[in-house]
Amino acid sequence: MNPLHTYAAIRNASPEGDLALLTAGHRGGAYERVIRSIWFLTAIFGVLCVFFILAFLLKDGLPLFSSVSPAEFLFGETWNPGGATPSYGTMPLWTGTILVTIGAMAIATPLGIASAVFISELASPRVRSVVKPVVELLAGIPSVVYGFFGLVFLTNALRLQFDIPSGETWLAGSILLAVMALPTIITVAEDAISAVPREYREGSMGLGANHWQTISRVIVPSALSGITAALILGMGRAVGETMAVLMVTGNAAVIPDPLYDVLSPVRTLTGTLGIEMGEVAIGSTHYHALFGVALLLLLITLAVNLAAMGIMGHIRRSQAGGNGPGRLSSLMQPHGRKIRTAGLLSLLLLAGAVFGPLAAVLLAVIVPAGWYAAARIPAAHAQRAAFSLMYAAIGLVVLAVAVILGDILIHGLPAISWEFLTGSPRNLGREGGIFPAIVGTLYLVAGAIAVALPVGMGAAIYLTEYTREGLATKIIRSGVDLLNGTPSIVFGLFGFSFLVLYLGFGVSLLAGQVTLSLMILPTIIRTTEEALRSVPDSLREGSLALGATRWQTIARVILPPAVPGIITGAILSIGRAAGETAPILFTAAIFSSRFLPDSVLEPVMALPYHLFILSTNVPGAQTNQYGTALVLVTLVVGIYLVAIAIRTHYQNKITW
Amino acid sequence: MVIPVEQTEPIITTRGLDLFYGETPALNQIDIDILRHRVTALIGPSGCGKSTLLRCFNRMNDLIPSCRVTGSVSYRGENIYAPDVDVVHLRKLIGMVFQRPNPFPKSIYDNVAYGPKVHGVRDKGALDTIVEESLKKAALWDEVKDRLHTPAMGLSGGQQQRLCIARTLAVGPEVILMDEPCSALDPIATAKIETLIEELREQYTVIIVTHSMQQAARVSDYTGFMYLGELIEFGKTEKIFETPDKELTSNYITGRFG
Ligand SMILES: Nc1ncnc2c1ncn2[C@@H]1O[C@H](COP(=O)(O)OP(=O)(O)O)[C@@H](O)[C@H]1O
Ligand SMILES: [Mg+2]
Repeated sequence: MNPLHTYAAIRNASPEGDLALLTAGHRGGAYERVIRSIWFLTAIFGVLCVFFILAFLLKDGLPLFSSVSPAEFLFGETWNPGGATPSYGTMPLWTGTILVTIGAMAIATPLGIASAVFISELASPRVRSVVKPVVELLAGIPSVVYGFFGLVFLTNALRLQFDIPSGETWLAGSILLAVMALPTIITVAEDAISAVPREYREGSMGLGANHWQTISRVIVPSALSGITAALILGMGRAVGETMAVLMVTGNAAVIPDPLYDVLSPVRTLTGTLGIEMGEVAIGSTHYHALFGVALLLLLITLAVNLAAMGIMGHIRRSQAGGNGPGRLSSLMQPHGRKIRTAGLLSLLLLAGAVFGPLAAVLLAVIVPAGWYAAARIPAAHAQRAAFSLMYAAIGLVVLAVAVILGDILIHGLPAISWEFLTGSPRNLGREGGIFPAIVGTLYLVAGAIAVALPVGMGAAIYLTEYTREGLATKIIRSGVDLLNGTPSIVFGLFGFSFLVLYLGFGVSLLAGQVTLSLMILPTIIRTTEEALRSVPDSLREGSLALGATRWQTIARVILPPAVPGIITGAILSIGRAAGETAPILFTAAIFSSRFLPDSVLEPVMALPYHLFILSTNVPGAQTNQYGTALVLVTLVVGIYLVAIAIRTHYQNKITW
Repeated sequence: MVIPVEQTEPIITTRGLDLFYGETPALNQIDIDILRHRVTALIGPSGCGKSTLLRCFNRMNDLIPSCRVTGSVSYRGENIYAPDVDVVHLRKLIGMVFQRPNPFPKSIYDNVAYGPKVHGVRDKGALDTIVEESLKKAALWDEVKDRLHTPAMGLSGGQQQRLCIARTLAVGPEVILMDEPCSALDPIATAKIETLIEELREQYTVIIVTHSMQQAARVSDYTGFMYLGELIEFGKTEKIFETPDKELTSNYITGRFG
């Protein structure tokens, strides 16, 4: 008898008709249950975080209303907590946030959509393989570097261009935020456009429509919901951004007068938190007011993200159903004309507000004329004109990357020396090096990933492999989405209130690590989920049909091919954590230290924070500012490039 | 060696089996007796529920969230839908080969050794023997014995499918479910699989779903004809193909629809 038969015989040892044969519980049932519960716990961690963040913001925010009425807080026109008679009206702040965001979206919307169409429809595979990483580079540049660039380059250019005393304005903030929102908009919109079924494209082309007609009448309308979601996500990014805005908008808590004066300084909700949180007396009315501002900010981003989630969920459903345009577009179709007119009118008003009446008149002439002409000029000409505009858009985006990176590279290289990389700062960072900041950043990032990776992977495994979609997964997913939409400065405030004060960590490496880990958790969950989902179900079935348990299937069949995806996600998160300033602003970072921390309970220096202070508070440190910016960008972009390389490498290799 | 009829007995039996995807019924009152050491074919127009029925036998349907089953399916007299049944163990006893070959992205050797490994066989020698025996039984050994440690994805479609069969055999099942195992294969590869099925019936009970009536006629001892979620007729293959009782069956067999 050969061993196979022996093996089969052992397996079949139970006599015919043995009633215990199939009964559960005799093989590792308990072990499977334990593993499942562990993943379940990691999965609800995200929900718990959201709950805790809300609880602590409320705990520190609500006491405000014992001395300031909600109406005064929301609609008061003066924000002056330090005055002889302090006033806590947030109207100028949220107006600032809204104005800066509108400006950013007015710039980013046309650029983003045109670029997305270019990448998915016009670019050859070669061009695409260059342009996409460039767009991703934009996403990789830390916000403090954008702020720094805005401060030394953009505001200067605006000051000279418009002949104003200071270039730190609403316009500067909007331009910067537009550039920062672009990668989100382009990537998500491009995904939506690429997801339009090939049949639509072929159907349209088969009817003799040319490429531009197909794009403008079939592809973009079919992808409309996805594009809308892209815009809303980009908007969410703009609303929640702190550092870049804070550094270029001038931060005067005034409502622009007239309202459309884009050259007026403004102050946003996030900027207020970034500036004042570090100096406020703990427990004072001002302190509570800042938590009130954070709540307000959270509510606004919540609304924005709920809208995005609703639309995205709707897209997923309609794609699963596979039938035609989604509810949004079918809702919009009967009112197409009205919507177009309204859109045009608001664009006019906006143009009038932003660039003056002349621009509005020009636009009012050009757009309908263009509309009229476009319908009548030969299709081939229309196509050429439209494609030229798209080339121009993508050109602008690439130019933006080139200018930002070029400026930092040219001015930063002279600062780089052995001493700069390995020495400690002297004379308030004007001289000496940034070694403690480099090490501090590495410490922060290592700790953050060490916490977030196991928890995030566990949650993703639970969500994709263990549960059916139901109420529980819905709650968990919403928790993760909310966490994802939470502005980084809010994490900073939460870290301060919960970790630094309540748990008594003090301003410390540990507090910074945990805060950062919460911030990157959603990214890790999401990328791991994607990686797991990309493993075909046939492999799961194949393994389960062989009698492997759930966990055996996951550990041996599903995780191995998902590893590259998971690593990519982890590296992207590392890059993000390395560049973030707002979460460590009040939880971990100090400006100057000659030494490395001895324990996790000591504060650390960090590159982004160092750059922030150098460029806003230390006059005459130009060389070292650029040097620090260059090191930070190199570090983060380097990390991103590694992630991109891993992803492309495996994308080419794994084919099912 | 064909086991005489009087020695065979039903190994899988369903009674009053109903299955719903959400609210939509997919199986309606299925009563079937699958005989041990026989090849049973399920035929019928596409969408009639063949795969659905097959997947009831090893509870693969559990993986589909909206799926709901009533009635009974018993294996060796035990209801496999009873609450305390160990599904993992059941699937070890009732193996499955899928429509599209689905080897894991591992080496040939690791694909076959996967099952025994997850069931606790650690000994290298035993694994080697199981792999060799299984590949031999699946008539694949000679083609792959010199490249056991190369990726399984490098095999042709037909070889991949035989690898999937070998992988199933390595677990030592009693019953092998095959869902249109040849539909993604060319005629030569199909012929090889059919020969293989012929051999497998000596040691295993095989249930095969096929859309090819010729295939059912060639490989099976018993045939069930399904239509719109119902088992219209079930009996000896010669009987079903030559003198079916129901008109619907004879219409289908003679190609008047489907
Ligand atoms: N996962 C599923 N969800 C919903 N309906 C399904 C699913 N799988 C199959 N069906 C439906 O059940 C019916 C039977 O399908 P199936 O068993 O695959 O048929 P066959 O294998 O005979 O072609 C079909 O109408 C099919 O649409
Ligand atoms: Mg089928």
